[in-house]
Amino acid sequence: MTIPTPEEASPPDAVAAPVSGEGVIAEPESGPPVSENRAVIALLDRARLDQGAGQREAAGASLERALRIEPRNPWLWNELAQLRLAQGQYAQAISIAHKSISFAARDRRLQALNWRVIGNARVAQGNAAGAEEAFSKAAELEQ
Amino acid sequence: MLRFFSGKNMTKLPSILWHKIPWNKFRSSFRGHGKALRVTALLLLLGLSAYIFYLDVTIRAAFEGRKFALPARVYGRALEVYPGLKLTPAQFAEELQALGFHQQPEPNEAATYKYTLNGIEFTTRDFVFWDGLQPAQRLRIEFADGRVTLLQQRGSTDIDLPILRTEPPLIGGIYPGHNEDRALLKLEQVPQPLIDALISIEDRKYYSHWGIDPRGIARALYKTLSGQRIEGGSTLTQQLIKNFFLTSERTLTRKATEVLMALLLELHYSKDEILETYLNEIFLGQDASRAIHGFGLASHFYFDRPLERLELHEIATLVGMVKGPGVYDPRNKPDNALKRRNIVLQEMVKLNAITQAQFVEARQKPLGVIHRPPAGTSPYPAFLQLVHRQLQRDYREEDLRSEGLRIFTTLDPRTQRHAEQALASRLLQIERARKIPANTLEGAVVISSTQHGEVQALVGGREARYAGFNRALDAQRQVGSLAKPIVFLTALENSSRYTLLTPLDDSPLVWRERGTADWKPQNYDHKFHGQVALYTALANSYNVSTARLGIDLGIDTILDKLPKYGIERRPPPFASSLLGAFELSPLEVTQLYQTFADGGFRTPLRAIREIVTAEGKPLQRYPLNVEPVAAAAPVYLLTAALQGVVREGTARALTNWLPAEVAAAGKTGTTDDLRDSWFAGYTGDHVAVVWVGRDDNKSSGLTGASGALTVWGEMMKNIQPEPLQPAVPEEIELVNIDPAGGLRYAEECKAGVVMPFVRGTAPTETAACPVALTDSNMADDKEIIKAEDKPGAQPGTQTGGEKKNWLQRLFN
Repeated sequence: MTIPTPEEASPPDAVAAPVSGEGVIAEPESGPPVSENRAVIALLDRARLDQGAGQREAAGASLERALRIEPRNPWLWNELAQLRLAQGQYAQAISIAHKSISFAARDRRLQALNWRVIGNARVAQGNAAGAEEAFSKAAELEQ
Repeated sequence: MLRFFSGKNMTKLPSILWHKIPWNKFRSSFRGHGKALRVTALLLLLGLSAYIFYLDVTIRAAFEGRKFALPARVYGRALEVYPGLKLTPAQFAEELQALGFHQQPEPNEAATYKYTLNGIEFTTRDFVFWDGLQPAQRLRIEFADGRVTLLQQRGSTDIDLPILRTEPPLIGGIYPGHNEDRALLKLEQVPQPLIDALISIEDRKYYSHWGIDPRGIARALYKTLSGQRIEGGSTLTQQLIKNFFLTSERTLTRKATEVLMALLLELHYSKDEILETYLNEIFLGQDASRAIHGFGLASHFYFDRPLERLELHEIATLVGMVKGPGVYDPRNKPDNALKRRNIVLQEMVKLNAITQAQFVEARQKPLGVIHRPPAGTSPYPAFLQLVHRQLQRDYREEDLRSEGLRIFTTLDPRTQRHAEQALASRLLQIERARKIPANTLEGAVVISSTQHGEVQALVGGREARYAGFNRALDAQRQVGSLAKPIVFLTALENSSRYTLLTPLDDSPLVWRERGTADWKPQNYDHKFHGQVALYTALANSYNVSTARLGIDLGIDTILDKLPKYGIERRPPPFASSLLGAFELSPLEVTQLYQTFADGGFRTPLRAIREIVTAEGKPLQRYPLNVEPVAAAAPVYLLTAALQGVVREGTARALTNWLPAEVAAAGKTGTTDDLRDSWFAGYTGDHVAVVWVGRDDNKSSGLTGASGALTVWGEMMKNIQPEPLQPAVPEEIELVNIDPAGGLRYAEECKAGVVMPFVRGTAPTETAACPVALTDSNMADDKEIIKAEDKPGAQPGTQTGGEKKNWLQRLFN
């Protein structure tokens, strides 16, 4: 069994680093809410507040709590992918975006959002061709 | 920080130096020249100074070190409670009781609760989580139909809460060298009567002396010189020093060292600091291998309550034990303890620390000690071992044992209990039913969460409380047929060649490899089955067709995949490895099946979520990591096939425990001579692996189905898992198939079975829909063979006699 390498936690009172543009959490502007479960919504709100304050570790912890309640909610996985992107964990951002896609069968908009995360992560990884491919997939889905 | 006194080194005072002082030379130089005398005196003075300096460093290191020598505290998962959660009042009350909550008519004090008409009213404690303090709250919860319906904060106006994270249960500690446990107290938390009692009975002049009591010392000196035993005369400061070095040696040199150290300690630290350390350090009993240090822990150990909730007579009992925890043990020597307690009370009243009325009342009370101490060392030794091993990769052992880290883990006590009970009860029943000698079978269980890879339960043997050989982590056993899904997944990844319907050859096979004897795999039933569908070969766990399939695909190709699924050790490069002739631990098998359960995403198994320092500062988080290691479509097909194993194949006995709509996927494993009985499987929310066998590796007499599967079924029945309904990947289509000829039926045809295929790989030829089966009374008869459970599944028809053998109908 592999043990995950630990990640140094930034304390909650750490000074907020500016959130880069691509890391901004996407609000589903319209359409159904991310979840019918108020507990999940509350945790998501908290995660967004934490991330807004630069407390990304805490935001990740709240998102994981939400995912324990709704492990198949693709919006939550997308939110986590965006967070990993903002944290500079590009490989994880890509993996988790794929995981969101795997649960987002009927939601083209959400799939597109995930491909944008993948594209941005690949840009950051220096994979221009892969990024191009991801962005065009996103564009196709957005049509 | 200096820590000279860790482990066994701390038990000995550095009194040896006294013996090294050259007394002989001293005497001879006394008779000799004056200069020699002066030099010797100087040297002696220097030596003494050096020695005092040495003692000073020693005692300060000990004091500083012990002040913070706190075991890491390990917590289970915090229960997240929210409206809609599947939870009964009884389950919730159980959770509260495990946290030490007490019933009270008005539950407004922290850690109290009462039942109401529809639920429970309770008040939580302050608790510092990884992400900060969660203050105590007065709450109300209501239930209906096995679910939470309401969660409210009680107040002048009640406020609905979306979610409550309950305090996580403490499940164990990682103790310092001597297996000492502690519940650290700050001086201001200590009830004043305790301090009064302690000072009344042990050291009345504590606040005015310099660390020693000259009269006591004089008495001790006199007794020693007159050849009597050295006793008494110890101030609290001296007692603390004695306690640091844990020795009962009574010699003059030791006493002198103790006096010097006491003076030095008082020089460096305030009375309050010394008292606080004393209260946390003093030895107050023994619980098997665990030493009980400090009043905080002793309060839990003898009264199962925190110190601040003890009554006067209970406080006096604990203080009375300082003189001799063995002699005045309230459990084993209640008469002694009672007498001693009353002496303490008497001394308190003498010093006006309590009133006469309080004295009379307290004296009449019984000891009130609880009979069985609460489990101190962990009730979950196997899980704790997993936590400890994960920690050892990132932390120094001495920090784990002394820094008071708080470790938040993934253990779910309820899931754990179901796993422990199922293993213990099934093994007992199997031994009885099969006349197997009692207690010869052993077993192990691992349960994790499907989407997060969190280890929720881990059982290392049928005596789950006993910290012995941890089979879940350390038993390396042949996996047998548990390895087959790797072969089948590799095949299904090649979708242009293999579908669930692809016929495989199950006729006799002889495999010749250099360096090994000819290999002639046999089926469990010692028969060969000719042409069988890939799906059937897995459902019935046919060895010969699987071996031939694996050889066709390439032994190396298949074994090379194992690291992707988290199996780091490489099995021997022989064809027999295809059939699981290699060893894994139950935990490794869980990691392997995790990937199948999670749609091809590998999530490293985790037992730890977060670590916080003793002061509540977040230290480290172990975040969720996922990695796609297998394409979704073939994994979906594999899961459909593994659901077939449960529905139609070697694991169909699972229907004795689980309703068909759970649609669990799984695989039995049986090894040569029935040495190992395995079952690995998954539902919508759990991955679980059970191993049953004998420690001496002799035959257990059990197949995977007759042993491990029954444990799996029983525990899952009690866990009440979510149905397995994997998301259908885009590349997958569901096709209506002719049960007779393996051809396609028109979609609207009511006959046939619906099976998943990677798009473009299903049979293209369409057979005519049988007229007899187009009747409306057959409308419900169409069987769906796909990983996703049909909405409103028909358990009745799925278990019906006619339906059971659809595969045989299809291919025989």
